[in-house]
Amino acid sequence: MKQQQTDGGARGAVFAPVDSRARVDAVVRRIGDAIELGLLADGEQLPGETELAGRLGVSTVTLREALMALRQQGLVTTRRGRGGGSFVSLPEVPGEERLRARLRGWSTEELRDLGDHWAALSGTAARLAAERTEPDDLLQLRRTADELAHAQDAPARSRVYGRFHVELAAAAQSARLTREQVALQTEVGALLCLVLGDDEYREEVADRHRAVISAVQDGAHDSARQLAERCVLESTTRLIAVRMSL
Amino acid sequence: MRLATTALGTAAEESVAAGVGTALEHVFEAVSATRSETAALLARVAAEGRRPATVDLAALRPGLHTRLARMELVSGVGFVAAPGLLGDVPAWLEWWQSDAQGDVRPLLLDLDPDHSAYADYTHWDWFALPRDTGERAVAGPYVDYLCSDEYSLTLSAPVELEGRFAGVAAADVYLRHFEAAVLPLLRRLPRPAHLVNARGRVAASADPAHLAGSLTKGPDFAAVLERRRPATAGGALLVPCGGVPLVLVTHPPLT
Repeated sequence: MKQQQTDGGARGAVFAPVDSRARVDAVVRRIGDAIELGLLADGEQLPGETELAGRLGVSTVTLREALMALRQQGLVTTRRGRGGGSFVSLPEVPGEERLRARLRGWSTEELRDLGDHWAALSGTAARLAAERTEPDDLLQLRRTADELAHAQDAPARSRVYGRFHVELAAAAQSARLTREQVALQTEVGALLCLVLGDDEYREEVADRHRAVISAVQDGAHDSARQLAERCVLESTTRLIAVRMSL
Repeated sequence: MRLATTALGTAAEESVAAGVGTALEHVFEAVSATRSETAALLARVAAEGRRPATVDLAALRPGLHTRLARMELVSGVGFVAAPGLLGDVPAWLEWWQSDAQGDVRPLLLDLDPDHSAYADYTHWDWFALPRDTGERAVAGPYVDYLCSDEYSLTLSAPVELEGRFAGVAAADVYLRHFEAAVLPLLRRLPRPAHLVNARGRVAASADPAHLAGSLTKGPDFAAVLERRRPATAGGALLVPCGGVPLVLVTHPPLT
């Protein structure tokens, strides 16, 4: 069921203002990733150009360029006239192809930096959670770790992987870290599909998540931080390896 | 840590705790108004011999909007259906929020598990506690990344249809608003004081050593709430806040 656009949670971050640098690319990346992740569904209508430009914090000219690029990638179709507008459209090309094309838009330096940012967020969240968590807070994290161990396709694995890190930030009792983590997941989430398709690696991530939970439960701040950092840096390293092979 | 019955004079602390209780009882009034309107609506639809649908819940909107506009502490209010209740969708939140400008907006979530990792809301305390206990509940403080992205308290109560659980009526209070409401009360006390929930999580504080979100470890706060009278533990005075599940913690001067 679809309740249209939300202003909260992961979907809200899709339409939050983009960085000032390379705005067209940033918009293409943001909306493209949201489509790959299934945050925006096939056939869903995007908000009108003026509204979308306002929410993303870009000029309508920039937005139109970005929509043009998305149309070229086959991710958006535009219909004219009454009932017209821009619609999400998932082309028949395999998702992995499209994701590789998206990954090519990232330099290895940008990916390394993304990993550093992610490690800073999740590492700090794990440390604080270890200080501030009581047993009932861990139920959701455990449920998510188990769900990852059973998630079938790569997009589902990626969504659950991201949810673990959002829940970790929430367990740290920090609204700011949680918002940052939600925003970061809209960037990294789609790309992670490229490394989470591997069953063995999916198992490894689930184990790493369980190790973080144990350290948080034991109140072991430093090891919780290190384990969370290692988990996300390993994922980024794998992404960078894929990028270098393209 | 052992709880002991206190022989100290605790009039000032009990009055502050009662004030905190009253502030949240006002919010519970919004919850119980939503609860009875929803129960009446569901009963009316059942009497027509059909299953309720999302379109029926639109009748709740005038009441929800009024509560949002009139109640300063309330930033979100609504009815969250138990999955399977409605005929046209598997799950639904008839949920309205007021933003910083005072505009009232619906919360529109993606509840399709194939698209959203956040589609299942039935494990959140604000839903699970009223469902499992049949009683009203205060969830949090917690980071509400589903609805508001705010650090919040959510007050909720079960809604029933023909004796069966049909969902929860609930209201959100952002922690910063709660703090603004109760800090003047806490500051009346001669010693630093803070409020914790049944699990020891600090909900508001006038004590720099115990900040909101941290845990106060040691005393069994749930037991204090159950006994519904002041107690002492390790030199701290613990006073339950009326009928709401918060405990005032302070260190009274020794007499």
